[in-house]
Amino acid sequence: MSAIESAALPRPRAGFRASGRTLLLLALVLLAALLALGLGSVNIAPAETLRAVWHGLSGQPLAGSEVIVWQLRFPRVALGLLVGASLALCGGAYQGVFRNPLADPYLMGVASGAGLGATLAVVLGWNTALVPLASLAGALLSVSLSLWLARVGRSLPPIRLILSGVVVGSIMTAISTYLLLLTEDRVRQVFSFTLGNLAFGGWHQVLVVLPYALVGGACLLLLARALNMLQLGDLTARSLGLPVERLRLLIIVAASLVTAAAVSYAGIIGFVGLMTPHLVRRLWGPDYRVLLPVSALAGGGLLVLSDLLARTLTRPTELPVGVVTTLLGGPFFLYLLRQSRDE
Amino acid sequence: MYRLLPVLLLAAATSAAATTYPLTLTDDLGRRVTLQAEPKRVVSVLPSTTETLCALNLCERLVGVDDYSDFPASVSKLPKVGGLYNPNVEAMVALKPDLVVVSKYGKLAESLTAAGITVLAINPETYEEVFSKTLVLGRVMNREAQAKALVIQMRRDIARIEILTKNAVVKPTAYYEVDPTPYTVGPNSFIGVLLGKAGAVNIIPASLGDFPKISPELVVQQNPQLILGVDLATARARPGWAGIAAVKSGRVTAIAPGSPLDNLLTRPGPRLPLALAALAKIVHPELFR
Repeated sequence: MSAIESAALPRPRAGFRASGRTLLLLALVLLAALLALGLGSVNIAPAETLRAVWHGLSGQPLAGSEVIVWQLRFPRVALGLLVGASLALCGGAYQGVFRNPLADPYLMGVASGAGLGATLAVVLGWNTALVPLASLAGALLSVSLSLWLARVGRSLPPIRLILSGVVVGSIMTAISTYLLLLTEDRVRQVFSFTLGNLAFGGWHQVLVVLPYALVGGACLLLLARALNMLQLGDLTARSLGLPVERLRLLIIVAASLVTAAAVSYAGIIGFVGLMTPHLVRRLWGPDYRVLLPVSALAGGGLLVLSDLLARTLTRPTELPVGVVTTLLGGPFFLYLLRQSRDE
Repeated sequence: MYRLLPVLLLAAATSAAATTYPLTLTDDLGRRVTLQAEPKRVVSVLPSTTETLCALNLCERLVGVDDYSDFPASVSKLPKVGGLYNPNVEAMVALKPDLVVVSKYGKLAESLTAAGITVLAINPETYEEVFSKTLVLGRVMNREAQAKALVIQMRRDIARIEILTKNAVVKPTAYYEVDPTPYTVGPNSFIGVLLGKAGAVNIIPASLGDFPKISPELVVQQNPQLILGVDLATARARPGWAGIAAVKSGRVTAIAPGSPLDNLLTRPGPRLPLALAALAKIVHPELFR
């Protein structure tokens, strides 16, 4: 019994040490956000940046470069934080619920479903404002289909979930590819969506994604303790009184909603959801009550920092944010991996 | 001098001799290709090649075209042999062509050559290449004089438009969006050159390359008077774009994929003067009433 307790619950001293790191991370994320507001195709002095934010918040008229700070960069940073946090949080939750280190938020076919929705909307020539809605519908349809196919009676075996998610995803991707081949001239328009892009993130997108992230995120955070128990295996968790199947369904539904909203408005941004929870696990330990919120914070920070670099390294041109995210996080993750082997 | 120019050019045109076969030349894939005789059965897999061949009065020699060739209207009756990503090699071989003109992209050349078919990659991409590749195609098809005459005709039509736009008192600054990533065009790209000749000042500097992916901030900062490739409602809805001069004045022109204007602007072929005319009319409506 004591072994179970020590696996499921962190010792208080470890928690205390971790909080120092958490504060440092918080400071870094805030710093990245502030830099992201001031730097870009035009650099804006910190005082002017803060004044623009103040003017924007208080609803005063914006002059000159204040428009860039308040209407372009601020929502872009906010959307980056929100999407990065959503993906990292869901990635962590998926890795926990499937007990699989390769799980990421797109495991249940959210990304390919969203891609198919967006492709359909573009191919059929719908208004651009409807593309995210079509993508959201595609993502949710894809997850529902995966869940339905994986179901055995009332239970959802993880292996069946993973397999059906992968297959549903492949089918959705195949249909998208076929549709694109029929209308070659719209390929780039679809790519600009599926490759992940924060360039046109505005207040509208932030306000649409926010409720999903808040409700779904809160739900996942409340289930963190249950995720800890689930790590001991289905049998043990069940013997501890955990409704394993219902819990698994709840976590998948919550995480899918959060991911689907993020993907629909920011495109398919890879890596953040897979790697951030691993990074956090190595530095903060495996307790999901710490892992999930810290992953969200780190994921938001990673995406904001990547987006900042993506639009400043070669300014005024932009790099694809997904490339920067991977180049930034990948080597750091490999470094951590080697470190832990040496221990 | 201006009056003399057509005469001189015409003299140059009539000096073209008949092509002698076998003809060996290096194509746009860097392959050495030998044509044994004047091609009589041709498959074209690029809309611009189809248009050039027809402009050289060789429409009858076409036995098959790609899915996107739709001009002149007569080619739409020809067998379709697929697109860039889904070419139908079997259909091409079945048409028994003595020449298939392909693009630089895709791997058609390898499989067709293996099937014993002469393949030539001719793929104009820049403004000047439209003319030089027309001449190459003319030589390949034994229509060198016609190709030279076509080039002269095109250059003359373009000069007629340019004379007006070059001397325009005010040249609007313009932003041209290829796709909403957003990708745009530099002044040296095909569309960039046309935009300049149409009398607009591209807000994108040449140093960024021909197809840069830019930050939307740059557009806000440069504040163009004209936006092409975005519809007004989308432009207005983009964060911070409502204050851009072009959006405020409504000088925002959508170019829908596959629309006649889009086809003109994305096909570096003989309808180049028409593309320029269409663009010039958008940039300087006051000059083309």
